[in-house]
Amino acid sequence: MSSRLVVSCTLVTFIIFVMLPTFYLISYVFLRWDEVWYEVFANPIIGDENWRQIIKALIFSFRLSLSTVAFDLIFGVPLAYVLARKRFPGKGLLEDLVTLPLVIPTSGFGFATLVTWTTVAGLGGLLGMRSGLISLNAVAPFINVPFILFIVHVALTFPYVVRTVETKIQSIDMTYEIASRTLGAYSLTTFRNILFPLALPGIFSGAVLAFARSLGETGATMIVSGVSTTASIAIVRWASEFKIPTAAFMGSLLVFIAWVIILPAEIYVSRGRRAHSLSFSVPMNLTRRIIRFERFLSRKLFFIKDIVPLVIVAVAVVIPIAVVLNSVILYWSADPYTGKIEGGVVHQLFGPSNYFSHLLKATLTSIIVALVSTYIATCIAIPISFIIERRWYGRIIRTMLKVPLIIPTSSLGLSVLLLWGSSGLNLVSSGIWMIILTHIVFSVPVVVESIIASYEGSGIQMYEESARTLGATAYNAIEAVSLPLIKGGVFTGFILSFTRSLGETGATFIVMGRDLTIPVLVVNMVEALAIPAALFTSTYLIALSLVMLAIVRVFTQR
Amino acid sequence: MSIVKLVNVTKRFGGITALRGISLSIEDGEYVCILGPTGAGKTTLLRIIAGLVEPDEGEIYIEGRRVNGVPPERRNAVYMFQNFALFPHMTVWENVSFGPMVKEWSSEKIENVTSETLEMVRLGERRDAYPSELSGGMQQRVALARGIAAGARILLLDEPFGALDARLRVNLRTQLRSLVKDQGLTAIHVTHDQEEALMVADRIVILREGRIEQTGLPQDIYNHPKSIFVMSFVGGANFLDGVVSRVTGSGSTIEIRGGLRIRVSDTSNGAGERVVVGVRREDVSLGKSRKRGFNNLVGEVLDVMFVGGSIEYVVRLENDMTMLSRILLGEGSMAFKEGDMVIVSFHPSECHVFQYPERGLLKEIEAI
Amino acid sequence: MPEVKLVNVTKRYGRIIANDHINLTIKDKEYISVIGPSGCGKTTLIKCIAGIIEPDEGEIYIGGRLVNNVPIEDRGIGYVFQNIALFPHMTVWGNITYGPRVRGFPPEETEAIAREMIEMIKVTARVDAYPDELSGGTQQKTAVARALMTRSRLLLLDEPLGALDLKVRAALRYELRRIVKDLGLTALHVTHDQEEAMSISDRVVVMRRGRIIESGRPIELYMRPKKLFTANFVGEANFLVGEVKLITGEGSIIDLGDGMKILSRDRSREMGERVVVAFRPEFASLGRTCENALAGKMTSIIYSGDLVRLHVELPNGDVIVVKRSLRLYEPIPRAGDEVTVSVPPENILVYPYPERGLHRELSLE
Repeated sequence: MSSRLVVSCTLVTFIIFVMLPTFYLISYVFLRWDEVWYEVFANPIIGDENWRQIIKALIFSFRLSLSTVAFDLIFGVPLAYVLARKRFPGKGLLEDLVTLPLVIPTSGFGFATLVTWTTVAGLGGLLGMRSGLISLNAVAPFINVPFILFIVHVALTFPYVVRTVETKIQSIDMTYEIASRTLGAYSLTTFRNILFPLALPGIFSGAVLAFARSLGETGATMIVSGVSTTASIAIVRWASEFKIPTAAFMGSLLVFIAWVIILPAEIYVSRGRRAHSLSFSVPMNLTRRIIRFERFLSRKLFFIKDIVPLVIVAVAVVIPIAVVLNSVILYWSADPYTGKIEGGVVHQLFGPSNYFSHLLKATLTSIIVALVSTYIATCIAIPISFIIERRWYGRIIRTMLKVPLIIPTSSLGLSVLLLWGSSGLNLVSSGIWMIILTHIVFSVPVVVESIIASYEGSGIQMYEESARTLGATAYNAIEAVSLPLIKGGVFTGFILSFTRSLGETGATFIVMGRDLTIPVLVVNMVEALAIPAALFTSTYLIALSLVMLAIVRVFTQR
Repeated sequence: MSIVKLVNVTKRFGGITALRGISLSIEDGEYVCILGPTGAGKTTLLRIIAGLVEPDEGEIYIEGRRVNGVPPERRNAVYMFQNFALFPHMTVWENVSFGPMVKEWSSEKIENVTSETLEMVRLGERRDAYPSELSGGMQQRVALARGIAAGARILLLDEPFGALDARLRVNLRTQLRSLVKDQGLTAIHVTHDQEEALMVADRIVILREGRIEQTGLPQDIYNHPKSIFVMSFVGGANFLDGVVSRVTGSGSTIEIRGGLRIRVSDTSNGAGERVVVGVRREDVSLGKSRKRGFNNLVGEVLDVMFVGGSIEYVVRLENDMTMLSRILLGEGSMAFKEGDMVIVSFHPSECHVFQYPERGLLKEIEAI
Repeated sequence: MPEVKLVNVTKRYGRIIANDHINLTIKDKEYISVIGPSGCGKTTLIKCIAGIIEPDEGEIYIGGRLVNNVPIEDRGIGYVFQNIALFPHMTVWGNITYGPRVRGFPPEETEAIAREMIEMIKVTARVDAYPDELSGGTQQKTAVARALMTRSRLLLLDEPLGALDLKVRAALRYELRRIVKDLGLTALHVTHDQEEAMSISDRVVVMRRGRIIESGRPIELYMRPKKLFTANFVGEANFLVGEVKLITGEGSIIDLGDGMKILSRDRSREMGERVVVAFRPEFASLGRTCENALAGKMTSIIYSGDLVRLHVELPNGDVIVVKRSLRLYEPIPRAGDEVTVSVPPENILVYPYPERGLHRELSLE
């Protein structure tokens, strides 16, 4: 039957373009184990120096990611509760602000944070100091990671926790909470006994996503990392130094770790109801004390949970963006502190270094990449979504699709380079086409998630069955009934993936060859110390993404 | 000729057998209700006829043609979902013209058929409305029109009143039946509402745990239930368990708890057999004096309830069993109140006698 | 003790008034039902009493205490939900003992009350079963037990039987009433099923568009509804339009047109007023049995169990329904036969003709 043909074609395309690159890296390490061993563990000149660097970077990355996730959970869960359950003016705006770091290009955002905290143009200047508020390498207490890096990672991972938990809480029937309260439990007691255990799978998967994101973050990290090296930055550096075996080994370690985290999490989440039944046996007088404490908190200090997350969102997201905007204006014609025109935005863009023409070229590259990769990804994602919903192996595909979403993009880029490039199939060389191939990999899951979200709960199966008994063939039913019903999801997915592609840095760095995209340009500008030009480009990039977000907002509200 | 015929249809889902060897044939133009409790397999049966589910065993014939493996669009049987499944992104007009459109009729014919059907369900004026703007009853009519316009000969109705308010349901029942009858369609209507089935069906099929328990005309099912389950499910009744103590030519005597004796006309069970006597609540009357030729038991009124045009008395007999008596208002019988001592009377010919069920009486009548 | 009193309770949602100056007193140990079509405000009302919704205006007293600003958990109520809402991650035992646990009752006491409650409510399920292993009926019984565990004397039932099979629903009605009466509780039961309300409660309140239309004992509401809407909503009825011709000591004579006249004992309407005449199908009988006799033609007969509904077309084209019990062994006429239908004058209800027209007034959608 023709439907079987369609399914097979889709699956083959999916495996070649999406799954193969994500696994190739590991097979590369196995196939060329001799080379890897020689480079990493037994180099005649430096011995196992590379291995020691890998370990160092991994430990640092883990410390950073774990503390980020812990912070996200403590403040993200209450915020998610507020967003899911309360109605208040400005809620839509708050939701957008939380989501913002998901769509704005990370290198632009990283740069904004850097300017805000460490330069005189940021908070330092606003507070009347002659320097930045803190130095780039200032270390946060307890967790022993640079403060700036920590803030950036919190801002970038916060939305994963908040949105995942928010969606989970929304799916929990509110009557459970009301029932608990009619039985005499205070709000906080209700949260501890009812909502928390029921939302645990959501909290768990939010934490996993945030952890993976933090582990793999490259764009912003490159800008704010200073002297520290995270695992994903190390890959980019080694790849650009052509230390491919070392980079590949590190990359496959990260892919492996991502798998180790996601598989148990998926199994746990899908196991359903009783998996999350928590019971502690606590002595009676302690229980009473807890309840009394919760009563006190429920009554008196409830505002804490409303206010603190708001402050975090403001500090981590809103201020950097505002500062960047402000700085562009300050630096427009000249450096406001030294008065030199060489330090002004205009001079750097149109002066001898002529960053403007670079910017134009990069914009063209970025838009072509984003359009082509998103278009192809959407074409793959629509049939894949139907397969996920209808075939018994759909669940497996859906789990596999989580992989490109959470493995570090620099590993992904390396994998694509090795697969399609000269050392692998040798079909594509570095440059715009390879960027597109890379972006397709992580765009497919983004679009699929969005389509599935609109698919589920829309009762498509029933409408289709209804259409069938009215005389429509299977193909007719999909065309006339199902596709129009998921149109919104397809569109949202398209825009989200477009924005993601526009802002991607880590993987692009590895596969771009000589075709720069805008986020990469920002990193290059920062490294060339062309700060005003970087300011302008970041603003430009953020503005582009905000327009996209606005379009999604308007469309989904309709 | 039978328009739908099932032969030995069996369907399993994992370890659960939803249908076991169902054989059934439905005549052209017949209105059949499939009645049963939740989980009896009613919806599965309907979905198998529609072609949305394939049976594991057995054959299905529609209009004389074997349709196993034939896709739903080539079966001429329209499935109506409980919440009507009107396409939310299409107007009333687009919904109704959906069937003709996918069948690629000429645009003139589509136009004619659609407007005709819409007029028939009195919704011509709402042709440009979206389903979400219509009331439940109107949505149901659109769904019906959509099925008729698609040229369906067979309507498969899955709990068609389930999504509507209780009071509204009653009004719409007769409407639905007369529309179906006027169009000369065959309807297979799944429901768990016995009153609905009794009122609309030409024939009732009672399903229990995937098996057909009884089929027949509504009045036959009501008057001659084959089992305790059917009697309890359709109409409800008082059930008294006891042992046959004596059998004569004109009837038998059954001894129930507390040594009370009941005379019944039925003679099919021998002395010493354990049996259950079923008496309809409507067949039990209350009075101050004994009635000749009736079983007369003494009891105390425990509660008086008012049920849809009838009064229902809960009476506790001397042996602590309770009996219900239901009397239609306007029948002019005496009124009693809580605490009154009364004589409970019912006629031996109105007693249905069943063998004591293997799984116990409660299992057969327990609805919860 | 738990007498509930609502004074001028009003709740608006934008321009829609869900509750419009509701005044209602529920007496101690009274079982009261609130009925009305979808969107009449009955759910808002029960939620206001529970504290789930705060009213915009008006006062709510429970047991003499003003509870307007008292949070849900301190109102001392038991609440039963339509969707049952047993905590899915707890066993039957965990659910039932939840209330006492979060209130910090000593474990021995909790256990004792739970045992007593399980016995009383006849929760037949294993206590270590999870809710999704139970049938709907058992789940709802467990939910009732859970609601009563905190010793609350006021039980609020929000469409408690709505999610259940009809057969189960009918059986649980008796159980609910028995539990409430045996424990001496005050109960407020919201439902859209008029038959359920009529059979279960001491008093029924009819709501429509945010207001209370009328309230009374079930039998009163059925036999003598004060409003046309109630007559239609709480059971089947025949409605005919006419004009008051004459008022005598016997009652009023109403002209139905086409030579038909009907006598009602109701003398409250004025001469010449346009009215709607209503009567219940079970009070009509076949043949000339009293002074009110209408001639017509049988159009169809619908059997349902021991009842038969006869549709009779009157000379003016109106169709009336006559409901008879088959136990009376009357001869049943056939479709097409000429018949006479009689209704006693004391069962003829008379209402002013509604401003919005009869059809719209009777529409339930």
